[in-house]
Amino acid sequence: MIKIDHVSKSYDGGATCAVRDLTLEIRSGEIFGLLGPNGAGKSTLLNMLAGVLAPTSGTIELDGVNVMTDPLAAKRNLCFVSDSPDHLLRLKGHEFLRFIADVYEVPDAVRGPRIEELAHEYGMEGELDNQIQSYSHGMRQKMMIMGALLPDPDVWILDEPMTGLDPKASWLLKQSMRRHADAGKTVLFSTHVLDVAEKVVDRVGVIAHGELLFVGTVDEMREHFRSNGSLEEMFLELTSENSPFAHAAELAGEKDGDASASTEAR
Amino acid sequence: MARTVAQGFSWKQFRVMLRVVTKGEQHLDSTGMGMGDDGTEKRHGFWGSLGAGARKVAMGFLFLLLAAMFFMMGCMLGEAGVTPYQAFSLCVVSLVGLTALTGLYQAVNILYFVRDLGYYLTLPISATTIMWAKLAHFLGMSLFGDLIILPVGLGCLFSVGAAPGTWAAMTLAFVLAAVAVNLALVIVCVPIMRFSRFAHDKDLFSRVFGGLIIVLALAIGVGSQFAFQGDGLVSLASGAGGLLSGGVPAVVMGLLCPPSLLARPVVEGDALAVLGGLLGMLASVAVYAAVLSAVARRWYFEGVQALQGAGGKRGRRVQGAELTQATRTRGAFAANLSRDWKMMARVPVFFNQFVLSSLLMPLYFIVIAVVSGAVGVSQATDAGMDPSALLEMARSLTALLTFDSPALAWCAMGVLFFGLFLGFSAYSFTMGVSRDGEDFFFLRGLPMNWSAYLAAKFVSPFALSTVPMLVLIVVALVVLGVPAAAGAYLVAFYLGATATLGLLSLGLGARFPRLTWDNEAQLVKGGGATLMVFAGLLVGVVVMVLPALALLAGVLWNVLAVPVALGLALAIFVAECALLAWWVLGPCARSLSRRER
Repeated sequence: MIKIDHVSKSYDGGATCAVRDLTLEIRSGEIFGLLGPNGAGKSTLLNMLAGVLAPTSGTIELDGVNVMTDPLAAKRNLCFVSDSPDHLLRLKGHEFLRFIADVYEVPDAVRGPRIEELAHEYGMEGELDNQIQSYSHGMRQKMMIMGALLPDPDVWILDEPMTGLDPKASWLLKQSMRRHADAGKTVLFSTHVLDVAEKVVDRVGVIAHGELLFVGTVDEMREHFRSNGSLEEMFLELTSENSPFAHAAELAGEKDGDASASTEAR
Repeated sequence: MARTVAQGFSWKQFRVMLRVVTKGEQHLDSTGMGMGDDGTEKRHGFWGSLGAGARKVAMGFLFLLLAAMFFMMGCMLGEAGVTPYQAFSLCVVSLVGLTALTGLYQAVNILYFVRDLGYYLTLPISATTIMWAKLAHFLGMSLFGDLIILPVGLGCLFSVGAAPGTWAAMTLAFVLAAVAVNLALVIVCVPIMRFSRFAHDKDLFSRVFGGLIIVLALAIGVGSQFAFQGDGLVSLASGAGGLLSGGVPAVVMGLLCPPSLLARPVVEGDALAVLGGLLGMLASVAVYAAVLSAVARRWYFEGVQALQGAGGKRGRRVQGAELTQATRTRGAFAANLSRDWKMMARVPVFFNQFVLSSLLMPLYFIVIAVVSGAVGVSQATDAGMDPSALLEMARSLTALLTFDSPALAWCAMGVLFFGLFLGFSAYSFTMGVSRDGEDFFFLRGLPMNWSAYLAAKFVSPFALSTVPMLVLIVVALVVLGVPAAAGAYLVAFYLGATATLGLLSLGLGARFPRLTWDNEAQLVKGGGATLMVFAGLLVGVVVMVLPALALLAGVLWNVLAVPVALGLALAIFVAECALLAWWVLGPCARSLSRRER
């Protein structure tokens, strides 16, 4: 379970607010999709969950472990795929996976078969002895996903994981996410591809300007908008200038100075 | 393959491109040119501008310091009877030599290994225009660096009391020579990049040329040890003058730098000869520019296209037992050490800067020792002495190195100075964390043991920089017959000096890492890196000042007995090591675990 409690993140001494007083609870056993336009604060939020960024205020707990006070314990229980797959490019594929397995302390008996299985599933068996820098963007993305899935922690946090994946790899990842959630564990991912979100997620959260504008199922979203339109149409309306939440967001912004504003899921 | 249609030059597009190249281009491999601007993202606000400003001021100061040093050298040459023409010849020969060895690497980086080049290919701009815009940028940058050599000639003019007109003529002639040699270099570079497979492998290219530059730097270091002794510099200057006087060397120099052949009338002639010489130089530069335009029109675009298509080597299929073996479990320290070592050895710039230079460093001392030894033996033979008697004499002196002898304390002081000298290479520790760049933030998302991470960052450079020198020191101690106890003390003292230097440098690098670079060369070249090298000296002073004071208290001020001073100095190093190790593995590791972009 992921518990985000009144989390804010600001830069430049508060001049830029990337995430504003956000409260959200993602339950074990569900796939949660985070939607939002570019610059909405999705990556900032996910980076805070992964312990890469520290919240300016508020607390984050992963399965009851506070990310800020006990980051190592929290990170052992999560895997994070960032929005860029260009990491450790001079390592070969198997060297990268070995490094990840060592850091997560994956036992010998598990890592060997698991690496073979993942490499086979993602069609990377023939590439493991090549340096990651020689991979295409999609192959690098596959390698990052393999690295994330190798230790198989309870919480998966994936930032735009489908970007660059071929249809088979994309389908595989969605299957893996479903299996993981069905096993009572947690998957949180961000995406721009609304069709993906519509088909995979149990609940969605829509974020814009660092504020969470909506949380619920896709059906609840439709009900809210009394519309049979696609998720894309609802998303555009929700994040537009004339958003039904725009006024609330402005009010929240005005109150930001006294830190009393809250944008809990409405 | 169908040939590409030759593309002409457009002045309007040139100006647009030059602006883009100057302001916004990212290099796959930077060249280390410029005034401390390493191309990394600037920090905003007061501290950001203060940092950039301070870096520029420090680089300017360093530039002026070197210029003043060369000017003094020129004055010395003038006073030793070297003519201004010979001094100018020395400048030009040095310029051609340095450009020939390092310029090709820089030119290829500027003209070909540029991330934005693939984008330029999609635009309706002629390749010749793109190349000239890049070349103008390159010439501007390299001319600035080349000017550092000119004060040798100007110093000589100063010492002979030359007229201001001669100063202006020599300056102009040098600038034209610098432009010509750079143009000549690019004329060679364009066909190489078009037809050479070697040049298309950026890693191999960087490794070979980077290695060449390191070897050159060491050779200059070794050479300078002898050039500054006796009349070595005067001989160099007259030799350089001789090179331009005639024969095959003059032809080679004339091809590489045509203005060099007209240097004598410009520096020594009357007004008419000076004017004629300068016009001749200008004409030769114009001819080279025309030749380059023709060559570029033909091959630059094709070279760029060939580079875009170059691919990497493929590995084998690893599976089954082999894969299991390749991915077996390691501890946190071993995992980090292995990752760090692979990244360092596989990035050509890091390999050259941190691995190759460290391994070649002992060679520097071996060459000096061998040449000095050979000179000593030769002089001893000339004086009718048996060379082996020299060694015996040295051994009889080293036999006196006991713990109550001030000589051992002075030897320890020598070790300290040697350790201080090694401060120049301490930036391999300082750069330890910075080498990870954006990868650092990937590691931040993992359950990383940051103490193990920093311990691994210490071991690689320590093994590379300290161990080869340690072997050399032990060999020297054995050859010179230093008593075992005194030798062990000096070795322990050396290890203490290098370990504290490394730990403090690593800790400082961990507290103030530079992680936002676009390419590896930005980190190890350029003004920021140059300043970092000199900052290593300051770090060395900080860790060595207390042991030095303890030694001086024994041998200079007689406040302590010599054995006490020796013991205290070593104890201080041990205490410093323990304190610094705690600081690096504790507070520094914790600061990394919280570091954000």
